[in-house]
Amino acid sequence: MQLYHWEPNGACGRVMIVLAEKGLDFQSHYLDVLAFEQHTPAFLALNESGEVPVLVDAGTAMNESSYICEYLEEAYPDVALMPRDPRERWEARVWQKYVDDYVAASTCELAWQALEAHTFRSRDRAALDASIARIAMKERRDAWTAAVNGYGEEQLRRARERLSETIIRMEADLDRSGWLAGSAYSLADVALFAYVSYLPRVAPDLVNDKTVPAVMAWLRRVKERPGVKAALAMSRRPEPFATAAPGPEQVRWG
Amino acid sequence: MTVELYYFQPLGTNSGRVYLTLLEKGVPFIERELQGRQFEHLQPAYLKINPRGQVPALVHDGRVFIEGMTINEYIDEAFAGPPLRPVDPVERWRMRVWCRYAENDLGRCLMMINWNRIVPAFIGARDMQDVDGIIASVPDPDRRRSWRSALEQKTPPAVIEESHRRTRAGALKVEKALRERPWLAGSTYSLADIDFMNFCGMLLRHWMPDLVNDKATPAFMDWARRMDERPAVQEMSRRRTGMPSPPKGAA
Repeated sequence: MQLYHWEPNGACGRVMIVLAEKGLDFQSHYLDVLAFEQHTPAFLALNESGEVPVLVDAGTAMNESSYICEYLEEAYPDVALMPRDPRERWEARVWQKYVDDYVAASTCELAWQALEAHTFRSRDRAALDASIARIAMKERRDAWTAAVNGYGEEQLRRARERLSETIIRMEADLDRSGWLAGSAYSLADVALFAYVSYLPRVAPDLVNDKTVPAVMAWLRRVKERPGVKAALAMSRRPEPFATAAPGPEQVRWG
Repeated sequence: MTVELYYFQPLGTNSGRVYLTLLEKGVPFIERELQGRQFEHLQPAYLKINPRGQVPALVHDGRVFIEGMTINEYIDEAFAGPPLRPVDPVERWRMRVWCRYAENDLGRCLMMINWNRIVPAFIGARDMQDVDGIIASVPDPDRRRSWRSALEQKTPPAVIEESHRRTRAGALKVEKALRERPWLAGSTYSLADIDFMNFCGMLLRHWMPDLVNDKATPAFMDWARRMDERPAVQEMSRRRTGMPSPPKGAA
């Protein structure tokens, strides 16, 4: 099994945590996405959109972190990360879909703006433009151009609006069992943890011990899990949630 | 055991994907059709069922399930009947990637191409004060903005052109996939085919005959005809109201 990934945050973090939780060995290929290493021809042959993570297993290169996690759950079920009851499995999937549709894009916008937009402003713009021009897919070229230019106030306001709604929902669901779906830790917790870990840093007024105590306690509890610790320890930086890359595009509404 | 489905006509997109899944599984269900043009999905009675004010919602023994893609996985897990997800984990991964692509990418493009026309037709002859009230009652802020911009014909031309570009790419993408495998997930019919037909397949055939036809996309057309032959798809077509019938010769 091979994993092409960046830091254990966001989409890569989800898959790295699931692999560690399940105790699965894999060959790690670390790509520095801030140096555009995900847009080399060799990697584009695995994933034409030039996005990490990509898992290669059973002879297939798989993208889309949410579905890589479901794949790992189904192909390697010994350590279960999904509830058994279909209703609770639905709860876990609704949370994951909410992450895929809204949380991922909104968190990446806030995190990029707070953590990396200024570092890119001091880079050589012509060299950056040349790197972006080499990105094969228009969708990703557009995403990088928007990120390098910096997100507008309106876009960031919408991202905060989404995330406020998210943490209120989380606070309510965590009140039931301490976990997001059913009565145990699941792929839903992994999915949210990989993004919400950014928020005390990049939106401290929204996410703190006073506003959402259950979310904060949950963040600390998840972070102490051996599998999560092992995944976070693969970071090549002092702290995986102190850096960010442009995320998926927001749901297009017209 | 009772199963109720809240949905819109004409059957397609998010309502159609779940409706067809129930038919394929042979799950009997009570039809709760909501009148979209009367904005029944934004009325208090329905908001009690789904506070997000979106269809479909499935109610199974009193419990509410929302979000079409996850409802379909629930139906496949909770009810007997023919499995609609492949057994092989890789094929299942591929199924989900196609479900998401159909709903969130290509399906959105097909909708956006016509959004500036669909929304005013949906609103009909109401005065602006009523319209403001309707839009204010949409729970989701992004959907409120989207309705507003469509009503004011403000969806930017660049956004519409990008949707056309992605639609052209999408027709090629599905053709390539169906040349490699009989069904979108792989060797068996699955939720991926159900979703692609409901979000993209029907609209591509109706609206884009220059993009999808026997010459340009024979594998797609063959797939579409195999879909047409399925008894559950035929049953859904019989129950669909408010949509023009398929073009002649589309079998």
